[in-house]
Amino acid sequence: MLSDGSYIIAVSVLALIALGTRLSGAFLMAWVTPTPRIEKFLQGMSVSVIAALVASALVTADLKTFVATCSAIFIAALSRSVIWAMIAGMIVAAAYPQVF
Amino acid sequence: MVRNPQNVTLSAAGVARGMTRLLPICLFVVPFGIAFGIAATEGGIGPLQATAMSGLVFTATAQFAALDFLNDPVAFFSLGLVALALSGRHLIMGAALAQWINRLPPGKRFLTLMFLSDANFADTQTLLQRGDTDLGPLLGGGLMLWITWVASTGIGAFGGDLLINTEAFGFGVVMLCFFAATAFGMVRSTPSLVLPVFVAIGVSAATLPYLPNGWNIILAALLGGGVAAQCHAE
Repeated sequence: MLSDGSYIIAVSVLALIALGTRLSGAFLMAWVTPTPRIEKFLQGMSVSVIAALVASALVTADLKTFVATCSAIFIAALSRSVIWAMIAGMIVAAAYPQVF
Repeated sequence: MVRNPQNVTLSAAGVARGMTRLLPICLFVVPFGIAFGIAATEGGIGPLQATAMSGLVFTATAQFAALDFLNDPVAFFSLGLVALALSGRHLIMGAALAQWINRLPPGKRFLTLMFLSDANFADTQTLLQRGDTDLGPLLGGGLMLWITWVASTGIGAFGGDLLINTEAFGFGVVMLCFFAATAFGMVRSTPSLVLPVFVAIGVSAATLPYLPNGWNIILAALLGGGVAAQCHAE
């Protein structure tokens, strides 16, 4: 069980950290003069954070999820559409248990 | 990527467009929100409190992880560290968006960042790389995700005893496909990002067993950015 006091403190801690991390990235960058090199760093970081989320999840995912994600990348390459890639991934994930 | 973007705006039309763009993603957030609502109430948190938590925190991973800590006496310090690791990537996303976001007036800047999340960040990357300067879709997508997350938590928390199997809805799979396709699209439009992406993939996968969940993603993003900057220098 959780008392009201503990709940309020816990949610305040979580909310402050969530808001703080959301605001501080852009806030801190206001003091950085953007050079082409820093822009490359930020661009590299944006794609890396997305790729890292995927890789990190795939390490512990089952084969079905892995195959579905690979199909989505394949369809993204063919169709240039994120929506079609998602649909393909879903279809593969749904069909996988029937096929294998 | 456009350097020194001018005339960055936050248009109402853009907000509406962002809301529509993320609608398909939001459908898959619903079962996840319901699952959180159920898990939270089963863990001894009131339904209203669980819903309020989703509204105030709006970070699914941190909220699920926090449930393990929400028993008296609460280990507030550990709770804070876990939340920091799991929402630390928002800091990186905010920094990556800074050259656009910081051109908005402070009020709009604050409003847009409040709703920054993985899916609307990824979606907006595609638009910004194309040269768009309207941040409306970022805010709209975030609002849509927030509304869905809070409403579905409420459904799970108040409608408690209905059983739901989040795996059956394939939330994880759809989200992964969305992120993977987005990253692929970014690399295709900027081929110099191939090496940073492979570094990020390698680092996050290799360090996952050694680093607490979340920190491996932050490390991978920093190294990926470093490699991109280094490639540029050479």
